[in-house]
Amino acid sequence: MPPDTEDGVQYSFALEYTGPPVGYDIPRAVPINVNKIPVAAVVSHINFPQKITVPVVKPLLPSSDPSKNPNSVNIGENPGKDCGSEEAVITVSPTSVIERAADSNLQECVFSGELSSSGLLNDGGRSSSAIEFSGSFGDKSRDESLSKLRISNELSSNRDWESNESVLSSVDVDDEYPSSRVSSVKVSNNEVNGEGRKAPAVTFRDIESGDGVGGDAGGDIDDGFEGNEGFFEEEERVMRVKREARSKGKKGSCYRCFKGNRFTEKEVCLVCDAKYCSNCVLRAMGSMPEGRKCVTCIGFPIDEPKRGSLGKCSRMLKRLLNDLEVRQIMKAEKLCEANQLPPEYVYVNGEPLCHEELVILQTCSNPPKKMKPGNYWYDKVSGLWGKEGQKPSQIISAHLNVGGPIKGDASDGNTQVFMNGREITKVELRMLQLAGVQCAGNPHFWVNEDGSYQEEGQKNTKGYIWGKAGMKLVCAFLSLPVPSKPSNSCGEQVNSLISRSVPDYLEQRTLLKLLLVGYNGSGTSTIFKQAKILYKPVPFTEDERENIKLTIQSNVYGYLGILLEGRDRFEEESLAAMKKEQSTDETETIGSTSNTSCQTIYSIGPRLKAFSDWLLKTMVSGNLEAIFPAATREYAPLVEELWKDAAIQSTYKRRNELEMLPSVSSYFLERAVDILRTDYEPSDLDILYAEGVTSSNGLACLDFSYPQSASDDKYDPEDQHDALLRYQLISVHARGLGENCKWLEMFEDVGMVIFCVAMSDYDQFTVDGNGSYTNKMMLSKKFFESIVTHPTFEQMDFLLILNKFDLFEEKIERVPLTQCDWFHDFLPLISRHRSNNNSNSINNSPSLGQLGAHYMAVKFKRLYASLTGRKLYASVVKGLEPDSVDAALKYAREILKWDEEKPNFSLSEYSMYSTEASSYSP
Amino acid sequence: MSVSELKERHVAATETVNSLRERLKQKRLLLLDTDIVRYARAQGRSPVSFGPTDLVCCRTLQGHTGKVYSLDWTPERNRIVSASQDGRLIVWNALTSQKTHAIKLPCAWVMTCAFSPAGQSVACGGLDSVCSIFNLNSPTDKDGNLPVSRMLSGHKGYVSSCQYVPDEDTHLITSSGDQTCVLWDITTGLRTSVFGGEFQSGHTADVLSVSINGSNSRMFVSGSCDSTARLWDTRVASRAVRTFHGHEGDVNAVKFFPDGYRFGTGSDDGTCRLFDIRTGHQLQVYYQHQGDNEIPHVTSIAFSISGRLLFAGYSNGDFYVWDTLLAEVVLNLGSLQNSHESRISCLGLSADGSALCTGSWDTNLKIWAFGGHRRMHCAVGRFLCILVKLVWFENHVNVLSPVILM
Repeated sequence: MPPDTEDGVQYSFALEYTGPPVGYDIPRAVPINVNKIPVAAVVSHINFPQKITVPVVKPLLPSSDPSKNPNSVNIGENPGKDCGSEEAVITVSPTSVIERAADSNLQECVFSGELSSSGLLNDGGRSSSAIEFSGSFGDKSRDESLSKLRISNELSSNRDWESNESVLSSVDVDDEYPSSRVSSVKVSNNEVNGEGRKAPAVTFRDIESGDGVGGDAGGDIDDGFEGNEGFFEEEERVMRVKREARSKGKKGSCYRCFKGNRFTEKEVCLVCDAKYCSNCVLRAMGSMPEGRKCVTCIGFPIDEPKRGSLGKCSRMLKRLLNDLEVRQIMKAEKLCEANQLPPEYVYVNGEPLCHEELVILQTCSNPPKKMKPGNYWYDKVSGLWGKEGQKPSQIISAHLNVGGPIKGDASDGNTQVFMNGREITKVELRMLQLAGVQCAGNPHFWVNEDGSYQEEGQKNTKGYIWGKAGMKLVCAFLSLPVPSKPSNSCGEQVNSLISRSVPDYLEQRTLLKLLLVGYNGSGTSTIFKQAKILYKPVPFTEDERENIKLTIQSNVYGYLGILLEGRDRFEEESLAAMKKEQSTDETETIGSTSNTSCQTIYSIGPRLKAFSDWLLKTMVSGNLEAIFPAATREYAPLVEELWKDAAIQSTYKRRNELEMLPSVSSYFLERAVDILRTDYEPSDLDILYAEGVTSSNGLACLDFSYPQSASDDKYDPEDQHDALLRYQLISVHARGLGENCKWLEMFEDVGMVIFCVAMSDYDQFTVDGNGSYTNKMMLSKKFFESIVTHPTFEQMDFLLILNKFDLFEEKIERVPLTQCDWFHDFLPLISRHRSNNNSNSINNSPSLGQLGAHYMAVKFKRLYASLTGRKLYASVVKGLEPDSVDAALKYAREILKWDEEKPNFSLSEYSMYSTEASSYSP
Repeated sequence: MSVSELKERHVAATETVNSLRERLKQKRLLLLDTDIVRYARAQGRSPVSFGPTDLVCCRTLQGHTGKVYSLDWTPERNRIVSASQDGRLIVWNALTSQKTHAIKLPCAWVMTCAFSPAGQSVACGGLDSVCSIFNLNSPTDKDGNLPVSRMLSGHKGYVSSCQYVPDEDTHLITSSGDQTCVLWDITTGLRTSVFGGEFQSGHTADVLSVSINGSNSRMFVSGSCDSTARLWDTRVASRAVRTFHGHEGDVNAVKFFPDGYRFGTGSDDGTCRLFDIRTGHQLQVYYQHQGDNEIPHVTSIAFSISGRLLFAGYSNGDFYVWDTLLAEVVLNLGSLQNSHESRISCLGLSADGSALCTGSWDTNLKIWAFGGHRRMHCAVGRFLCILVKLVWFENHVNVLSPVILM
């Protein structure tokens, strides 16, 4: 029933049915959303005999000429043949303005072609590459609709352009590689060149147009350059043709100043082949963040035939720049992300690699040398590696999970002798014969990475291929590879993957940052320490332990000081009380009680008194740290005496009245005598309990990866991805970083914020910034609000850790949760018969602590939802229990995983292929 | 004395201080018979005229992959050090726009960097609360990273800003989120003096910026989140020489005026101000009304070599050039076509004054220089203009010449 009916008599044509229930289905009118009426459907798969996909269309530029301004309405009407004519315009257009308009129309054509699914994309040059596209149609149509959406944005406002650029670029990246794979599938370099020259249907004259605008004044050149830059980049991503610069000047001259001839020394752009003379190279290539590329080519993958020259400096650069500069350029050229081998170009056993596989291949202990785009075969069992159709060229690490299963004809052998399922070549057979392997009767061998071989179907090892003396020589003679060194076992490799140094661009990409924040005393440092103990093989170095020891000891002195201060107070109080009593008693007993009156249970002897005074004085002057470690040696016996003194013990019994004394102090004070010995070694538990151990200076970070549990041993691409992923836990102390959170904007690239709240704070009070006495839970809440609403964390996921559950459980039995104003409506329903806690936890009625924790989580979730409209994840943790913290941090990992799998329209965090370095955060 | 009694007295004292402060303000206003604008007008000063191409971007330094937070020039030779959130310091040759060093930092959250006067080492500081010194000449380790040559640790909060004492490679002043500034002796790695802090009269919130007087290196100013700027004498650490009130938001940037008698500030309240250190007066406010939306914060400021121009970067990406005398905006470089795409976080003028470098959250640095064809009154001016162009626009990489922006 539509809801309107209940309040309107005027809608007399429909009244609410109040009769008995009917036995049949009532027909319903489905409300129509006008915006969602399907207008045109994409043609389904079956029409294509081959795998055809369509390039993603990017939004159109608002053109300067309104008549040519494309919009989404006329997209379908644009006939295909227009393309040809527009193309013609492009090749003759002398100015960038016309080119711009023409280009945008051209895209439109592509777009129309897509909608009608004619499959005829533009001219021949394009279609040849279109055929080669891989990927499913469905995917593309989603992208396409996405870009359709964008178009309207584009047209309405030019301002959006910048912001959309990054989004679109990442959309396009998927399609980038396959389109240009045309040239690379065929391995031969000559062919690549040939095709490269033929292929471009559209060329971009960014170089000349830049020059054309401002040939005279240097400053103007830059203007022209940069103005056009964005436009051309955008263009290039769609029309994925090889970038080729075209010179206006005569052949062989510099592309920028048009001077010189083919014999003058020139530097070549790695991407577009533009050549610059020594006068122009620095201006044309700018600061070369990716090596020798024109400013306009930055961010584009290099021309594959030039891969060999990466990192090899020319004489010209050496002359122009100093040594350090050249070194930096070459380093950037070799290591920057855009210049890395695109994984889709490399086929192993007939399957293109994905990114992780390429990383595995490149970072293994024995990586293939000189990997180029092309087809390779890889024998996973023995580690033999070679180009498809050729004999093995190298033995790399075995058991890498890359590519598909090896094919029998991988190396195009015709010997009928098989090795690990591959028919070997004649040369190999020769080698085997020389190695003394019986090859009669076309046997099938299994060869392991150590060279041990056995016949198929048999168990016993028959020998070692490379074990025989002189085999190295034979192999060298036949130019066959030998294993370089005893290769590592598989298990070691997985481990070394973590510790291995990876290139910087990879590190950026595989590092997920978790920011851990919380109000003072919320236990962030405990969680941080716990994580360190959990995930680090060596949690604390010797130095750290030494420092921790000193910290703990000075903490204990601090606690003692607080106790002594308390003792003073108690002594005074009891003396005063005694005097009062005396004065009232005086009338009755005028006795000689003056001696005993000075002695209360809080009094201490003169020696201890002197020590106590000294300690309090040092504490007040604030240089408690300065007296270490001398103090430990000197005062340890005194401390022992002091601790055993009845006065201190009775003060300690009243520790609840000492507000300054933190709750953890009892843990240490009870062992004060042990701790203050010089040979004291802090245990892990001591460290967990200790305050101020993790860099008191505000920030601590910990790089770790979740250890793989035994259960998920099986290889699976997902897991591999995980193994590469590393996490960084960043712990920030609000205290050290000021209240203004000026630093918060530095953390916009974190994957998630973990906010820590101490549950047991609900009845505690402290002095806040304004000097008023406030509930600590309320302060936590305030801090939570300020963090959650901070503009930096607008789209961030938050995980709330409700810490100190153990303390809370115990406390809630004594102090009602309603102590804190915020929790005034906590009215738990508890059964009265709760004989004992242990049995209670077994049967299903939850304890008061659990109820309280649940209630608190809901409170925070509601608060979060009201502030941001999103969902808050929460986890209840006992900071001192490793399992509890482990579970919470694993939960954090799960949340991050969900995030990645979430269908995301912005796609900017389409992580692995995005060009941005830190693209995990939304 | 009970706690409540103490509290009452504290409240009363705070009130007294506030009323005194108000009276001081009134008194100052009375004494301030004119401001620079009126005085300059009375003297017949005309505003600086600036064509749109007079200050143009002549280099783009690309190479960082994170937001650029800070930059500094060397006193001689045209080198720049920049610090970015990608966890790297990059040393640039500004003339060739090439990198000479890329230093990977142990802590990626770097907020500030500085070049030593001799150009041999760089300093940086950030959220790790440590100021790290790198010697550019020291050999790199096996991974190609430059080792830290000294760690200045002692701050209890993030290091927000650092600057070398002019002409002394061994002394450095840092400001920190722990409300103090510290003068360091680099050779020993110890604190020489601490300015502010718990027991001394100092800033009451995070200190965000310091600037050392160029003509008298014993004096420096600091700007803080308590919306004041304070003037310090390095010989007297116990108290600030003077406190400058006036801003209504965090003071993000302070910079001494070239003559050393004034300094400028930039604040979250969207204004830049000019203060006189001798009288303690606020001389001028630079504020551009932005309409009714959010007021952009001033992130960084710099003066031209003559002091006539004030460059100020704003959090919304604006980049104004102010006429300091007449308090008029001469140019908005942020609106130029090839300007930064994001907030300008830091700026710095080269020591010879010929160029200005800006660093932005769009990961790039840009160098701006005079690109006009204006006729100057004297021949020298003309000559200088040409030289500026030679250095920054042509490929005369090795021209070393005294060239001035204004």
